[in-house]
Amino acid sequence: MGDALVALGGAFLAAGVLARLGRRIGLPTIPFFMAAGFIFGPNTPGVVLVEHPEDLELLAALGLVFLLFHLGLEFSLGDLVAGGPRLLAVGGIYLLLNVGGGLLFGLALGWGTSEAFVIAGAVGISSSAIVTKLLIELRRLANPESGLILGIIVVEDVFLALYLAVLQPVLGEANGAADAIAQFARAFAFLVALAAVARWGGRAVGRVIATPDDELLTVCFIGLAVLVAGAAEEVGVSDAIGAFMVGLILAESPVAARIERLVLPLRDAFAAVFFFAFGLTLDPGDAADVAVPVAIAVALSLVLNIVAGLVAARLHGFGPGPAANIGLTILGRGEFSLILATLAAGAGLDERIYPFVALYVLVLAVAGPLLAARSRLLAHVLPDRLLTRTVPP
Amino acid sequence: MSSPPERRRGIMNPDVVEQSLPGIGERYELQPADGGPVVVVIHHSGRRDLYVMGPNRSEPEAAVSLTDSQARTLGAILGGAYFKPAVVEEIEAIIGDLLIDWVSVENGSPAAGRTIAELEVRRRTRMTVAAILRDHQPIIAPEPTETLQPGDRLIVIGRPADLPGFLRHVVG
Repeated sequence: MGDALVALGGAFLAAGVLARLGRRIGLPTIPFFMAAGFIFGPNTPGVVLVEHPEDLELLAALGLVFLLFHLGLEFSLGDLVAGGPRLLAVGGIYLLLNVGGGLLFGLALGWGTSEAFVIAGAVGISSSAIVTKLLIELRRLANPESGLILGIIVVEDVFLALYLAVLQPVLGEANGAADAIAQFARAFAFLVALAAVARWGGRAVGRVIATPDDELLTVCFIGLAVLVAGAAEEVGVSDAIGAFMVGLILAESPVAARIERLVLPLRDAFAAVFFFAFGLTLDPGDAADVAVPVAIAVALSLVLNIVAGLVAARLHGFGPGPAANIGLTILGRGEFSLILATLAAGAGLDERIYPFVALYVLVLAVAGPLLAARSRLLAHVLPDRLLTRTVPP
Repeated sequence: MSSPPERRRGIMNPDVVEQSLPGIGERYELQPADGGPVVVVIHHSGRRDLYVMGPNRSEPEAAVSLTDSQARTLGAILGGAYFKPAVVEEIEAIIGDLLIDWVSVENGSPAAGRTIAELEVRRRTRMTVAAILRDHQPIIAPEPTETLQPGDRLIVIGRPADLPGFLRHVVG
């Protein structure tokens, strides 16, 4: 037991200390948590804190559950509606460009169709955590385009939830069409049942776990989130979407604000293990194999994000400065891409997906914030002509 | 330049432009007489950011972060709690969903020379006149027969959303 505790404590500490160094130069935590796993993992020389990544499997799964649970809890259709049709249009164009481009790229790689769908989501969906933190740290919250950036993130979050819901049944290993349909129907029924509870039963569920005592509330909501996530996985929906739905359900309860506060330290701690465990599995040999596809994917994302930034700015009448800020800020990739890769690994897809997404996220989680901080340089070279409206609003 | 669709004029004060920042909090923008706009961002966590935007409005010239208690102190100083200048304008406060505000009846106001009962203030605006300040003498809980006069300062309570209607009906 002692050695397991030493390994886990060392993992937390290594992740924390490395990420602190990163913060000094304004970088997000996710790539450093992963780097800690890589450096102190079995695939690199030197100190090995955790020999077998499977040892952290359960704790890492909790990280995934809490990440999605928190997303569901914070989820607000009101934010989406308040943004109006123009926000939906911008978000839709962003997703069409990035997820669509990712799908074509995935198909071109030739690893398989299911693999292409995972890659489409992994390269197409921005990291809420990285983008939000970036806006705060670059002191850009007051900028006129920042509301739009956060709005696009909301649209992406909604899309992620829907994508997770349909992806897992698609990835499931079915024997024949009848089996596939049965699996899909079962998963769909489970999701519909959860959605019905979220729509009409939130208050009732809230009453069951609501208590003025923080300790009991914490124990109860953890139980509910983990139980439903596990049940979801058992019926062929992913644990991620199960946890998300529990978050949605509890968001309607009178204790939602307290749960939001209580779940944050849990999410941060276990998500760090999730990212660390991801780093553990990274093998320099595999990374070399996927280096070329990753380089192409990074270049593709960069171009598509800048295009999306230009389109968003044009639709809202912003100049080149905001256009560059939009494109380079939403370039950040992180937790959602890794969650999709975990799904792929669970479904037994092509093994190259895992190192591909890991390396892609590492590159963009570091390059994204660095580029966003220097967006002015891009703004100088963006042609004004693309941004001036030909038809007045 | 058109503004994003989610921006709206403040309920409380049309000079303040409000915008929700999903996942972060609320953004309030105020245009001072000179200089770039001042933007306040209130985070869900209680943190407040104060930005002074540059003349082109796209990048902040100065930015400060305040804790909840620092922000309240600064707010109190700005509101005149520490030192009241000779000319103090309306003081308004919102507690929960309750608004307390001071408004002045002017010469041309619809309310000038009419009683509270004639104006049907409570029925038509859902606000209540809690007190009248006339020649520095307070009339607490005025009778419906009280005639409002130009120069009266009314202390009104009600819901923030009902204030614009009250202002139209009484102050004009």
